[in-house]
Amino acid sequence: MNKEKLQQFCRNNLQVLVIFGGLLVVMAIGGIITPKFLAVNHIIDILYLNSILGILAIAQTLVILIGGIDMSLGSTYWLVIMLGAQFMKGEFLWGPMLICFLIGITIGFINGYCIAKLKIPFVVMTLAMMVIITGVLYVTTGGGGGGKSAEPLTQFSIQRILPIGDFRGIPVRMLIWILFTIGFSLILNHTTFGWKMRALGSNIKAGRFSGINIERVQIVTYTLSGFLAVSAGLLYLGQARTPYPIFQSGAGVGASITLNTIAAVVLGGTFFSGGNGGVGRTFLAVVFLSILYSVLNMIGLHEEWQVIFNGLIILLIVGSYSKMRSKT
Amino acid sequence: MEHLKTVLKKQYIFIILLIFWAISMLISPFFRTVSTFSEIFIVAVPIVLIGFDLSVGSVASLSACLASVLLQHNQFLAIIIILTVGVVIGLINGIGVAKFKINPFIMTLGMMFIIDGVSSIIRPSPGGIIPDSLKNILLYRIGDFALTPFLIIIVTGLFGTYLLKKRALGRQIYAVGGDPKSAKMSGINVDKIKIIIFVLSSVFSAIAGIFIACRISSGNASAGASYLFDSFIVVFMGGTLVSGGVGEFSGTIAAALIIASLVNIIQFINISSWYHYIIKGVILVMVSGIQIYFLNKRRKLNE
Repeated sequence: MNKEKLQQFCRNNLQVLVIFGGLLVVMAIGGIITPKFLAVNHIIDILYLNSILGILAIAQTLVILIGGIDMSLGSTYWLVIMLGAQFMKGEFLWGPMLICFLIGITIGFINGYCIAKLKIPFVVMTLAMMVIITGVLYVTTGGGGGGKSAEPLTQFSIQRILPIGDFRGIPVRMLIWILFTIGFSLILNHTTFGWKMRALGSNIKAGRFSGINIERVQIVTYTLSGFLAVSAGLLYLGQARTPYPIFQSGAGVGASITLNTIAAVVLGGTFFSGGNGGVGRTFLAVVFLSILYSVLNMIGLHEEWQVIFNGLIILLIVGSYSKMRSKT
Repeated sequence: MEHLKTVLKKQYIFIILLIFWAISMLISPFFRTVSTFSEIFIVAVPIVLIGFDLSVGSVASLSACLASVLLQHNQFLAIIIILTVGVVIGLINGIGVAKFKINPFIMTLGMMFIIDGVSSIIRPSPGGIIPDSLKNILLYRIGDFALTPFLIIIVTGLFGTYLLKKRALGRQIYAVGGDPKSAKMSGINVDKIKIIIFVLSSVFSAIAGIFIACRISSGNASAGASYLFDSFIVVFMGGTLVSGGVGEFSGTIAAALIIASLVNIIQFINISSWYHYIIKGVILVMVSGIQIYFLNKRRKLNE
């Protein structure tokens, strides 16, 4: 009986177990190359740097959970960084922050509105949004690079709390990532709205018949995605102080970080769960990816190799899942 | 009269193209020159060749990078290698979608990652050499008139229309796009058709990549990226329905010419070239919005 339960548990949480295994392997490899790699401070540093990706991945998880995808996430993030720096000029804090949140929420709302009400396919809509934002970013800031973050924001985003002896403390930015994860996890599991989102993810038609206002759920979710993109953008701006100008390469500004968030969500298993995935799994996936990238960097495989690994991970996981599903 | 109406309805995209060109000529005297029209055809070639598949931009980039590395050694062999790479990528995409039942969006997205990475390893910074002999062939001009680009567009258009309208394969593609289940019931090998479509798309993108490399005279790991978006707009604008199964190759070509002209006009009226990103994005949303609106209306009428 107990054995059966264990088997059931393993089957349900296969993906989580696989990521855990992968995480241990990657950490072991890192530890063999340099023992310092496993020092708590070093691991915390890696997670600190990737907490931005973590917050953006939460947004992508929510959108993918309801059966969509947000390709404009990364460009919203960059737009906020560049405009925020220009507005703040090193002194103003609250006004520019408010404007940034308004911009991000408006972008998310427009995405949601066009997808829900005008029925434009989500890939088309958010890709178009990405390209529009790229244009707006260059027309308004010439690629950014000017301006400066307000000092309180900088202090806040590089702050660490609870330093004990050698331990340098937990970065506030990481704490925010964890808080967002817990918060959205609670919303998804314990509120009516969360249940509606899951219902939509598992079966959009059944959702409609059971009386859920699908359009509203879609609009709110995309708006939340915009809100989270702004949060991540402001936290990055604080750390970067004066952001470097970005040179447009690829399909649009921020495409690469958007793709990283999708990789994390797919790895976490939300893509196939039919409403069963969640931000907790994505959290684990981001932790795994951060450690993996850091090890890859250590052995001299830089950004282009990480991109290839992202693609392989997506195809392997999705491929094996789809094959398994078509068998049953 | 009825006949005229249906012609108008079917060919509306060409009428838009003509109106668009007429207005542009009024606005800008430059637009009246032959060389401008040639430029439009040159810009439109990669757009025409690339279809609907998220990895197309990356395949074009990869092929441009390979071209810049290989062409200087042996042109014939280089082109064979590039086309083979195109076929292999298309096969992987097709098999993933058809046999492993991977969602096409995720399949081509994953390929995009991998190919982009490979391109930047091959060519970390823009550069390389494209031999003049190939450039002279692909960008051949008589006076101001760019002959080869013009011919490429015409030939592609005829080939595409012939394939889709006159061959059994074309009919089968429409059937699979419209309703894969009924297609399967009626004995079509759906998996085979899907694989063929992905191979075609990828090979066309590889050809487009060679063309792009000739145009910019170098290889660049992100050379093809912007064409992904252009191809989206063009395919929708050309009347291919989002849901699949309906679409005309000629419409796609006219739409490609409109987008290429648009880029040209923006250069002439002397505003920042970044505006074309905004304009293209807005056009895509509008076009697909209008399409979906009419589609829903028709559906309601049918009910």
